[in-house]
Amino acid sequence: MTVTAKAPPAADERLSKPRLLDQLVVRPEIGAMLGALLVFLFFSVVTEQFLSLGGAATWLDDASMLGIMAVAVALLMIGGEFDLSAGVMTASTALVTALLATQLGLNVWLALLVSLAFALAVGALNGWLVMRTGLPSFIVTLGSFLALQGLNLGVTRLVTGSVQVSGMRETVGYESAGFLFASTFQIGGQSFYVSIIWWVLFTVIASTVLVRTKFGNWIFAIGGAAQSSRAVGVPVVRSKILLFMTTAFAAWLVGSINILRYASVQANQGIGLEFQYIIAAVIGGCLLTGGFGSAVGAAIGALIFGMARQGIVYAGWNSDWFQLFLGVMLLAAVLVNNMLRRRAERVKR
Amino acid sequence: MTAAALLSVRGLVKRFPGVTALQGVDFEVRAGEVHCLLGQNGAGKSTLIKVLSGAHRPDEGEISWRGEVVSFGNPTAAMRSGVAAIYQELDLVAGLSVADNVFLGHELSTAGFTRRAQQRRRTRALLDRLGHPDIAPDRDVGRLSVAHQQVVSMARALSLDGQLLIMDEPSAVLDPDEVRVLFGIIRELTAQGVAVVYISHRLAEIREIGDRVTVLKDGRTVATGLSARETKTSELIGLMTGRVLNNVFPQRKPVDPAAPEVLVVRGLADGDRFAGVDLTVHAGEVVGLAGLVGSGRSEILETVYGARKAAEGTVEVDGRKLRRGSVGAAVRAGLGLCPEERKSQGLLLDQAVYRNITVSSMSSFARFGFLDDRAERARSTKLTETLDVRPAGVDRVVRGLSGGNQQKVVLARWLLRECRVLLLDEPTRGVDVGARSEIYELIRELADSGVAVVVVSSDVEEVLGLSDRVLVVREGRVVHDGPADEIDESRVLDLVMEGHAA
Repeated sequence: MTVTAKAPPAADERLSKPRLLDQLVVRPEIGAMLGALLVFLFFSVVTEQFLSLGGAATWLDDASMLGIMAVAVALLMIGGEFDLSAGVMTASTALVTALLATQLGLNVWLALLVSLAFALAVGALNGWLVMRTGLPSFIVTLGSFLALQGLNLGVTRLVTGSVQVSGMRETVGYESAGFLFASTFQIGGQSFYVSIIWWVLFTVIASTVLVRTKFGNWIFAIGGAAQSSRAVGVPVVRSKILLFMTTAFAAWLVGSINILRYASVQANQGIGLEFQYIIAAVIGGCLLTGGFGSAVGAAIGALIFGMARQGIVYAGWNSDWFQLFLGVMLLAAVLVNNMLRRRAERVKR
Repeated sequence: MTAAALLSVRGLVKRFPGVTALQGVDFEVRAGEVHCLLGQNGAGKSTLIKVLSGAHRPDEGEISWRGEVVSFGNPTAAMRSGVAAIYQELDLVAGLSVADNVFLGHELSTAGFTRRAQQRRRTRALLDRLGHPDIAPDRDVGRLSVAHQQVVSMARALSLDGQLLIMDEPSAVLDPDEVRVLFGIIRELTAQGVAVVYISHRLAEIREIGDRVTVLKDGRTVATGLSARETKTSELIGLMTGRVLNNVFPQRKPVDPAAPEVLVVRGLADGDRFAGVDLTVHAGEVVGLAGLVGSGRSEILETVYGARKAAEGTVEVDGRKLRRGSVGAAVRAGLGLCPEERKSQGLLLDQAVYRNITVSSMSSFARFGFLDDRAERARSTKLTETLDVRPAGVDRVVRGLSGGNQQKVVLARWLLRECRVLLLDEPTRGVDVGARSEIYELIRELADSGVAVVVVSSDVEEVLGLSDRVLVVREGRVVHDGPADEIDESRVLDLVMEGHAA
């Protein structure tokens, strides 16, 4: 090996220039990074509060709640599947926790555990159904989306007589659980929500798994070519089910943060968010067809969301404009990503 | 060389619904040899590979590996035993790096974390062994040339300590220089004791690289253990073709020399796959294009049809020039194409039979923009009765029909449109022997009614039996053009395979 080890560096050096450029261009998150920079600069110039610590705390928090989900959804999308039930799932998990704690007087920690088990079971069911039936996950999870939505409203009304569960503050373990999920920390006299740390942590873990582990390798492989992956011995079914469980886990995390921060939950929460997750993942460079994308990209996609949503508020514009901005942003990101990929493919050979 | 066989196969039978693909295959492969499998399209080579590599389970017969009877339940099991197939459509995942592909499914890892550096080193070593230090282990596989992808596939097989490599027409996607490199690799591997099962249509290649030859025909071994270098070409071709005639071709009518030239193609080239193609088809004439897969024959048809854009040359129908690269113009001028991939390109599989028939003639069934459903059914019913589509019933979904009957539906579509020129790409692929003669009959009837027909087929017997005139295509050039009754099967095969010395 020592002999050959000497030779390659010379060859690599010759190749390194175009290859470095190529690699930069094919990074999935490059479009999102440029976008985030643009949005950041724009609102920093246009508004006063955006760049202040207080402003940053607000848009980072907004981005974090979306980002945790977007990252999980990105993993799933790279693996070639969708989960439309992810949005409602954040409400379902919060409701399970809240109902158990307030109605049955369960310790909040125990309630959280049961809720987690529930989430993982639903995720596994989603995955199992998709793999078993061979139907597109878009349809299967559309079904579980509707079912969960109905369950959320129906059960909540049945138990509480209203469409919300509140009174978490009086439950046992609320303080300690709240510290983990809903507390704040101080930087420069400004308090930031702990959800931001969760977001960063989740992104780092997801990205590490994706890039450094063999499971990460499998995610790309099953999303890019499930048939070939199976042929070489990748456990396709198990991996995909695990990915559905990962989004369910993320939904549980976001649901828990919500319920412990606001101490109450609306049964119709979370509806419509599933598309925001997908949008953030796509802005972050994920392909709808699977096999390509990045966890960091999705996190940045969520950051763009957060910055824009709060930036528009700081600018004093009507929040109606947010949707327009979102649409333009999505199209621009997809076009840029597409262009870069094409360009990268042209260098082929 | 040891007499003990690495792999031996006895009495292998594989049935698919309606077809027996293998009906008694015997052969054995020794360590360190290149064993060639020879046979025409449909002889069962692909099925055999799939059975050997664990993708299909045999219905009868036994496979012995290193002297023990084995049954590979799936490709992974076969690979772990040391049998690896390298298919033409390579099983690589674009988007992953070379090293990741080599170790996909059997990653080197600690606690789930991939040992990338080690994988890279091992890949580097494997690629060096294969004579390709120029392939960087970090490169995205999707960005490699096909030849290099093939090397990566081989590296994967070797990473599993493969003792038997099955290569399915590896040279089909390679240019002559790359073939030479491939042969170098094969020689090195066999010198190290690895056995190679090599499948190719090209006799010259088999002579150069092969040790022994097994000839398959109609799913049966007709000869095995022949010397690859000393067996005469005529003997090999005789073995491949000398079948009992099982397809009956309809009687030809002499083509009226005064019949108008319906399709005239001059100097057609696509700038890549073929060039300088001249083709004239008279009314009532069937012209056959013979050639290997990849010779450019399908591309020629598609370009005439306008589905691919021509770089040079003209296509005229009834004396009028067609706009290049426009299917719409071609169809309006009276061209019809029955594509090779009937299921993905030619049929609306989940629609009713009648809709598939009328889809190209919708406007003739429309009144004020609304379709006259009853007329559609009536016309379709008449056609399906004439063509004897079974089971009858125009409301049936096409997916449920057999290959032969699906082909009849496609033919019915063009009959309804009363097209002037019919282009048929592999008209009997996936059609069982019984239904073939009916398809031939139909094609001949169409021609007799004045349609100009062009048929592309890998089956030389079919081209010769069906056509009035035959063009032989090799590497994108027409190398022969003459009446079908003045040329025989072995001469066509000679022409088709000639000049493949790498």
